[in-house]
Amino acid sequence: MAVSPSASSGTAAPGRLAGRAAFVAGGLLLAAYPWAAPNAYLRYAGVLVVLYAALSTAWNLVGGFTGYISLGHAAFFGLGAYATGILVVRTGLPHALALVLAVAGVTAFAAAVGVAAVRVRGSSFVIVSIALVSMTNLVAQNARWLTGGSSGLRVPPLVEGLSRTANHVVFFYLFLALLGLVLATWWAVDRSRFGAGLKAIREDEDKAESLGVPTTAYKVVAYAASAAFVAAAGGLYGIWFGSLDPIFVFSIVIGANMVLMALLGGMRFLLGPLLGAFLVAPASEYFLLAYGESQLHIVLSGALLAVVVLFLPDGIIPALRATWRRRGPRAASIQERSAAELAAAREEVPA
Amino acid sequence: MTTLAVHGLTKAFGGVVAVRDATVELREGAVNGLIGPNGSGKTTLFNLVTGMIRPDAGRVTIGGRDVTGWAPHRIAGAGLGRTFQLCRVFGRLTVLENMLVAVRRTRLRELAGGLGNRADLDRARGWLARVGLEHLETAEARDLSYGQQKLLELAAVLMADPALVLLDEPAGGVNPALIERIAALVRDLNAEGRTFLVVEHNMDLVMGLCDHVVVFDRGSPIAAGTPAEVQADGRVLEAYLGV
Ligand SMILES: Nc1ncnc2c1ncn2[C@@H]1O[C@H](COP(=O)(O)OP(=O)(O)OP(=O)(O)O)[C@@H](O)[C@H]1O
Ligand SMILES: [Mg+2]
Repeated sequence: MAVSPSASSGTAAPGRLAGRAAFVAGGLLLAAYPWAAPNAYLRYAGVLVVLYAALSTAWNLVGGFTGYISLGHAAFFGLGAYATGILVVRTGLPHALALVLAVAGVTAFAAAVGVAAVRVRGSSFVIVSIALVSMTNLVAQNARWLTGGSSGLRVPPLVEGLSRTANHVVFFYLFLALLGLVLATWWAVDRSRFGAGLKAIREDEDKAESLGVPTTAYKVVAYAASAAFVAAAGGLYGIWFGSLDPIFVFSIVIGANMVLMALLGGMRFLLGPLLGAFLVAPASEYFLLAYGESQLHIVLSGALLAVVVLFLPDGIIPALRATWRRRGPRAASIQERSAAELAAAREEVPA
Repeated sequence: MTTLAVHGLTKAFGGVVAVRDATVELREGAVNGLIGPNGSGKTTLFNLVTGMIRPDAGRVTIGGRDVTGWAPHRIAGAGLGRTFQLCRVFGRLTVLENMLVAVRRTRLRELAGGLGNRADLDRARGWLARVGLEHLETAEARDLSYGQQKLLELAAVLMADPALVLLDEPAGGVNPALIERIAALVRDLNAEGRTFLVVEHNMDLVMGLCDHVVVFDRGSPIAAGTPAEVQADGRVLEAYLGV
């Protein structure tokens, strides 16, 4: 049973404290990673993992809360990357300012797209989201005068003359900061009445409307916020990587990865997408390394997606929790108490 | 000023005319009953007045204001709340979260406030206590019994502070003791100034609870009056017995 943080006040205090301690410890371990990583490749891979964790958590602002599955979030990733890169290259703006303007622009674009897109539900929404990434890809390919088309766009580095390794370290922390910001946002929304409305949309949208929830406005806000963070990740990626190619950033694979990671970890949980990213991103990097540029990692991702959907529809976090509860009697208390309360209450009601 | 009225309301599904040229006005401040045989269009009328489906013809007014074609959340915002024939709660939200979904007025400040916002929580807990679910606030709604879910659904609707509450078969599928409890709650809420429209097949409940009853048959009102008047009306018997 998912006990929302505020609702469980009191009874869950020891568990919450342990949870917070684990959270801080995990954050510190992550922050130490670039210094512990033995070589440049592993530093690079670390940046990629944190980038994916931020992307998937940002995706989960709309996917996890409202249940609207967007396979096309790479559109915002690519737009953020290209808008930032183009502003730096063509107007000579400082990187930070270019990033902020790019994020603002993509957010406005996402809000406009969202107004149309969130009107369709279920699989139709999925199709619309795929169309979005295909369209943005085509535009980026064809607007050669602006994007350089398929010959790519070179984005000047943040700090001239910085070694590759140092660049990885800098961007590891930038992506980590972004991840922290996205997690904090998800956490705050999860506890808000706005979040309760979004989750109600996921459970029963028409019922939520009947309770006065302006569901379209809620969905558009969640969609635009999610896109904003994805665009920020895209902008950082462009500066970090230094070169952009439409095929690689407006990529259905990047969008599908965000979904897979969130599904694997558990869409209804703050740390679900992060956990999914920590499992999937290193695994696909490994297969890329071991088997070269074959399509094997994509096939394996597809297989993993099928397994998750069929056998772990709620992701691994609830499965882990259940195992943990069976082992530790201490952790079981919250669950058992409310189960007992339920049983008692069932008998009470008819009286 | 929330009197609900429909004028010449019509809705067809394919060949089936579910509501046909219906004109009904509710008694403000009363517990209004709506009865009629299965398939006579009662639930469809609810769906029409709450904006969940659009009428083919006719108008819906609340306090004289034409709300035809409004989105459901706007109609809810005009002070109209409803429950569903097959009770609907948000299964994977906790009981307390279910209570915090309803929006009274779309005020951003109110929405940004955490679930921990004192005033909201106090109101939510107050309603939960009134329906007797206060000890279950951390349970997920799907783990509740059907009767408890019905109480939760009603309490969650009341969080929006509606002046008019539509109940679609509040006694459907619940035990007699709970029916009595729901009836008492409706009486109290009505005494506090809320108007009700209750669809119900349980005649004892209708007779005991309602001040004014409208009878539907094949999509149109065929009779209206006090419970006693309606019971004595030959056309009503005919509609029910299909003579
Ligand atoms: N969404 C729909 N699509 C097609 N037909 C519908 C739909 N909703 C209702 N109907 C039809 O409209 C008619 C009226 O149904 P409605 O549910 O309004 O009746 P009711 O009076 O609420 O019946 P009950 O007492 O059984 O709940 C029925 O013939 C029903 O089959
Ligand atoms: Mg009905």
